[in-house]
Amino acid sequence: MLELKTLESDETNLRLLVTGVDTPYINAIRRIVLTEVPCMAIDEVVIIENSSVLHDEIIAHRLGLIPIKTDLDGYNLPEECSCRSEFGCNLCRVTFTLDREAKDEPVTVYSGDLVSENPNIAPVSDKIPIVKLGRGQKLKLEAYARLGRGKNHAKWQPVSLSAHKHLPKIRIDAEKCNACGKCVETCPRKVLAKSKGKVEVVDLYACTMCRDCVDACPEEPSAIEVNWEKNAFIFILESTGALPPERIITEAVKILDRQLKEFTDQIAEVQKA
Amino acid sequence: MIIPVRCFTCGKLIADKWEEFAIRVKAGENPAEVLDSLGLKRYCCRRMILSHVDIIDEILRFHEEAEKRKEARRRYYQE
Ligand code: SF4
Ligand code: SF4
Ligand SMILES: [Zn+2]
Ligand SMILES: [Zn+2]
Repeated sequence: MLELKTLESDETNLRLLVTGVDTPYINAIRRIVLTEVPCMAIDEVVIIENSSVLHDEIIAHRLGLIPIKTDLDGYNLPEECSCRSEFGCNLCRVTFTLDREAKDEPVTVYSGDLVSENPNIAPVSDKIPIVKLGRGQKLKLEAYARLGRGKNHAKWQPVSLSAHKHLPKIRIDAEKCNACGKCVETCPRKVLAKSKGKVEVVDLYACTMCRDCVDACPEEPSAIEVNWEKNAFIFILESTGALPPERIITEAVKILDRQLKEFTDQIAEVQKA
Repeated sequence: MIIPVRCFTCGKLIADKWEEFAIRVKAGENPAEVLDSLGLKRYCCRRMILSHVDIIDEILRFHEEAEKRKEARRRYYQE
């Protein structure tokens, strides 16, 4: 039986305890989050004027890496859009404009200076420096954002972290343990604590399974044992801010569903033939 | 040159945190604590900020010097 428990959740982070699944299952979700869940990023830039100290290409690259708040329901992937246009239409492209000039004082051009045609599609932060302009320098450009997938470019990854690890299993043999506290001192993640002459696990999820505590134990064989649960994982997701983490996961599951459906359809066809 | 937009390793957005980091560290705060409060947990993201040298201001000075020289030359040929 699959079971989910939320360990931590805010606007960008999600930590889940997933029990009752095996490694290929959780790994499929992890990889779909990285490579298949679409999000928006600037893909084409038309430089109208650039007298700054950075080349056009560097500015275009910096613009591309800016994470953009994405509306998955309002926009189509360019390859799936009905317009079939190379350039894109209002349903698969968002235009940004930028026009800054340094007159008497040097200015920093920020992501907040990008003006979007749709106020819901905007950089996740207004404080990303794009370039600094010296007196008399000018930057004027138009940029086009599109939906895309992480497998084509990392700028289209909706996450900066998508990982899973085994749930640790720490067993302390109460009969062998002499409560010397060596393991408590050694543990780099403060997983263990000593209380009332006994060593206890206080923060199991922080354990990295480094087994330093096992090596530190003076008992022979060691009184503490570190292992992992077979079918339990901690799944960690950190969104870039483009999409809420819950949405990323549900979207990943939807994509996996669709791929499996395609697979069964193909099998049916093969059997018919 | 200028702070990279994202962490080279994991892809976390770091550019918007640089200016606050630079100001607070200059004011005497402990860099490690500033990084913690900015939410940079992994060492890949922390080194991006810690090892960054913002030389774009220096480059801009070359631009200003070149402008001054251009201006001087223009005046010289006018006279
Ligand atoms: S395995 Fe490492 S992290 Fe886990 S309790 Fe032992 S020392 Fe701490
Ligand atoms: S190091 Fe070994 S003996 Fe000492 S408290 Fe830890 S488990 Fe017990
Ligand atoms: Zn279209
Ligand atoms: Zn990083």
